[in-house]
Amino acid sequence: MVQMAKNKDMNGKGDRVFEEEFLPQIDALYTFAYHLTYNEEDANDLVQETYLKAYRFLDRYEAGTNAKAWLFRILKNAFINEYRKKSKQPNRVDIDEVTNIRDEEDTNYSSYLDLREEMFQGMMGDEVTNAINSLPVDFRAVILLCDIEGFTYEEIAKIVDIPIGTVRSRLHRARNMLKDKLKSYAESKGYKDKRK
Amino acid sequence: MRDQNYQELVKKVTMYLDNELSERDERELLDEIQSNPAYFKVLSQEKHFREFIKSKIRRKPSPALIQSIKDKIRVTPV
Repeated sequence: MVQMAKNKDMNGKGDRVFEEEFLPQIDALYTFAYHLTYNEEDANDLVQETYLKAYRFLDRYEAGTNAKAWLFRILKNAFINEYRKKSKQPNRVDIDEVTNIRDEEDTNYSSYLDLREEMFQGMMGDEVTNAINSLPVDFRAVILLCDIEGFTYEEIAKIVDIPIGTVRSRLHRARNMLKDKLKSYAESKGYKDKRK
Repeated sequence: MRDQNYQELVKKVTMYLDNELSERDERELLDEIQSNPAYFKVLSQEKHFREFIKSKIRRKPSPALIQSIKDKIRVTPV
C-alpha cells in the first residue's frame, strides 16, 4: 500500500513536470534534433527518446530548474550514442583535424573584412541551411545552441560537456567557417566587392 | 588593422553580442567602438551576420509525434 501511494505521488509529480516544464520545450528540441540529423524520422526518434529518458530519470531533475538545458543535454547525449554509432553522419570530420586546419587559416583574418551586407542579399534560406549542414556536427551544434536557442556559454558548456573556453573558441571557429562558406557561395553567384 | 588585432576584436564583439562580456570589458569595447569607425564597422557587420543567420534558420514536431510521446509516457513506470 505504501509503495503504491509513493508511486502514485511520483506519477502525479511526473505528470505535472512533464506537462508544465518538459512538453513546452518540444518545438526547440525538435528544431535542434532536425538540424543535427537532417532527417525527419531520425529527428522524431531522437525527440521521442529524449522525452522517454527524461521521464525515466525524473528523480534526477529538480522541478523548477532549467528544464530546457537538461532536456537538450539528454538529446545531445542520445544523438552521440545512437546516431554516430550508426554512422549517419558520413560528412563528419574529426574535430581535431578541423581545429588544426583552422589554426593555420586563422592567421589571416583580412579576408573577412569584406563581409558586407550586400553579399547576403538574395541568399535563400536553403543556401544558408546547406552551409550550416556542411559544418562538422560539433561546430553546427554550438551555433544552433547559441544563435538559435539563445543558451549562454555556461549552459552550452554543460549541454555539450566541454569547458567554457572551448565553447568560446568553437563558436568563433564555427562562425568563421560559416562566413567562409557563405562568402564562397556569394562569389560563385557573381558577388563582387564594389569597393575594388 | 593588423590581423591579430582584428582577430581579438571579432572575439570581443562576438562575446558582446552574446551578452558574455564582463561589465568592464563591455564598457571598454563600447568606448573603443565610439572612437574608432573601423571598430564600429566590425560590430555592425557581425551584428548583421548574426541577424541574417537567425532569419534563415524553426521546425514544428507533428501532432502524431507529440501524441506518441504522451502515450508512451502514460505506460512508462517512474
